[in-house]
Amino acid sequence: MLSRFNQTTRTTINNKNNRVFFKNVVPVVQCCLCCLILCCLCWGCAEKDEFERDQVGNFEALWTIMDEHYSFFDYKQVDWNEVHSRYRALVSNDMTDRELFDVCGDMLKELRDGHTNLIASHDVSRYWVWEQWPVNYNERLIDQHYLNFDYKRASGIKYQILPDNFGYMYYGSFSSVIGEGNLDLILSYLSTADGLIIDVRDNGGGYLTNVETLVSRFIGEKTLAGYICHKTGKGHNDLSEPYAYYFEPTKNHIHYLKPVVVLASRGSFSATNNFVSIMKSLDQVTVVGDTTGGGCGLPFTSELPNGWRVRFSSCPIMDAQGRLTEFGVAPDVRVDMDEDDHTHDAILDTAIDILARATAAPRLPQRSNAKLQQQYDN
Amino acid sequence: MLSKFITCGANANYANFTNCLFSKFMEFVKFEKFALKKRCGCHSTYCTYCLPFILLLCCSLSVAAEPADIPGSAVLPNQSIFMLDAGYASVHDSYLTPITYDGIDLGLSIEATRWVNRYRWLWQLGVGAGYNYVENNAQNNELHKVMGDISFNMQHAWLGLIHPRLGFSAGPMTQLRAGIVYDAVNSNNPVTVRAHWNLGATGMAWFNPLLGRLPITLRYQLQLPVAGVFFAPEYDESYYEIYLGNHKNLAHLGWWGNRFDMTNYLGADLRLGKTVLRIGYRNRLEHWTVNNLHVHDVTHSIVLGISL
Repeated sequence: MLSRFNQTTRTTINNKNNRVFFKNVVPVVQCCLCCLILCCLCWGCAEKDEFERDQVGNFEALWTIMDEHYSFFDYKQVDWNEVHSRYRALVSNDMTDRELFDVCGDMLKELRDGHTNLIASHDVSRYWVWEQWPVNYNERLIDQHYLNFDYKRASGIKYQILPDNFGYMYYGSFSSVIGEGNLDLILSYLSTADGLIIDVRDNGGGYLTNVETLVSRFIGEKTLAGYICHKTGKGHNDLSEPYAYYFEPTKNHIHYLKPVVVLASRGSFSATNNFVSIMKSLDQVTVVGDTTGGGCGLPFTSELPNGWRVRFSSCPIMDAQGRLTEFGVAPDVRVDMDEDDHTHDAILDTAIDILARATAAPRLPQRSNAKLQQQYDN
Repeated sequence: MLSKFITCGANANYANFTNCLFSKFMEFVKFEKFALKKRCGCHSTYCTYCLPFILLLCCSLSVAAEPADIPGSAVLPNQSIFMLDAGYASVHDSYLTPITYDGIDLGLSIEATRWVNRYRWLWQLGVGAGYNYVENNAQNNELHKVMGDISFNMQHAWLGLIHPRLGFSAGPMTQLRAGIVYDAVNSNNPVTVRAHWNLGATGMAWFNPLLGRLPITLRYQLQLPVAGVFFAPEYDESYYEIYLGNHKNLAHLGWWGNRFDMTNYLGADLRLGKTVLRIGYRNRLEHWTVNNLHVHDVTHSIVLGISL
């Protein structure tokens, strides 16, 4: 069969036609290939990375990323070039990854920023200043002595009506997504209370969208929440014009417009700091406790050639008065817990007291915080 | 049996030849099944169906008849081709990371070509979707890039200028591409949106030779957007700020000073009767610099296609 096939093949192939075929095809293919190769050589090559992958290259990459993207150099009066010269002297290609990590981590701590972290497989560098401050929150104490272990929980919010007929809700993380329906049910349950305590102590932050969801239930009209800006270039002062942003009351949902006290501590960081700053600007709200942990720069993430990630504050968010709250929001009434008292939460007690006075009087005195503070200091 | 079949192919044009090929196939299988069984005593699927098919394919490629010098042999047929792209991808997006990631490129697309106005003009419509899975050098993170595109072009054709089987065409094109690049571990910059609408030019050169009796089309096409509009956030602008309502400076006029796109395609269409098999290579480049952001994406892919 195959021999017959070969014989027939030989008789049917026209050699002249093949010559014409190759004579014409080859130049066209050559031209096309030349065009293609030229184009690819000019533009089609993959981008080359700017930094070497050795220890010095990684250090320089980290310093440059921060230099070009970090937004609080001037606000914190950090001379980043001076920092470079000081830490560059400690870096060599002979050092181990852990040694390099420690040097880089120390360099980032110069920024005094809780949002700035170097993240490697073996460690996360951090400047979590709240770890050094009084905690001012004891969950077990509240559960046992105020809630009697009897509370509801939905969307990451623990809530109950206290014996004094004041609502209490504890929100431990803005990373827990709040459902509008859940919030309706929570506020519906708490609507019979004369006042509400929102406890965000030890809440390390999360999604800013949850801040809007929550705040929108405590405002009766479109409210200026603050200002946001961002870096527009590599220069330290290349910042955009602050953009005013507003929150509006959520339509067709339950709102709570009675007196509210927000409890804050140094552990109230990032999105929680933002929440407290917005709530503080509302007339019916009093903030009690400690200054918040700060962290008003929306953090971005970048990467070093060796795969380590670096997180840093990039987009400053200001309060409704246009002030940066990077170092925290001061409370209206400053109170610390007594660490030796394991049955009473002084901050929560103060909040109950404030609500009792506010509900007894026709209306909570607006922004009489100095008097209020003096009263509690006495 | 085989000689009968070859005679059939030699007397017909290629479409009839291929129809004849398939209609005779089962008959041939029956004949060969018996012959091969006698030879190797095997009952496997390979011996029963595959081997005869391979033999037939060899015959069809090698024993085709003399090509007819018909007028208009430089004409590309009206066709719609479904294509699968697979190859290498490189993604550099400074909004997400200063590091260049590389990995694999996958894509699905459909390209329709139609002639109008007595072979003076042709239009092409392309619709496609692509996915890039790329990793960093440290191999501890990946980006996912998903893009969809639709393009349309209208080209004037010049047939048989240099050679009867050679054709050229060129004309304007428009292209809409949109998608996202996603980095799972970034905090407030986990994703960047890509969207652009371009106007530009495209050009093709093709040649319709015969490989034995098998008509093929060798084609090179360049798509070159010149100007358009594209989306890009500002340098370190978060999408949260955009969500809050700050839409300033998001749309940009793209031109070769700040943006360069290019798609090269080189391939061959094998015409097996009414069915067209396509094999080729595609290189796609997307490069732009705006708001101090820098993007440079490249793909090099093998293209496999079949007519619809």
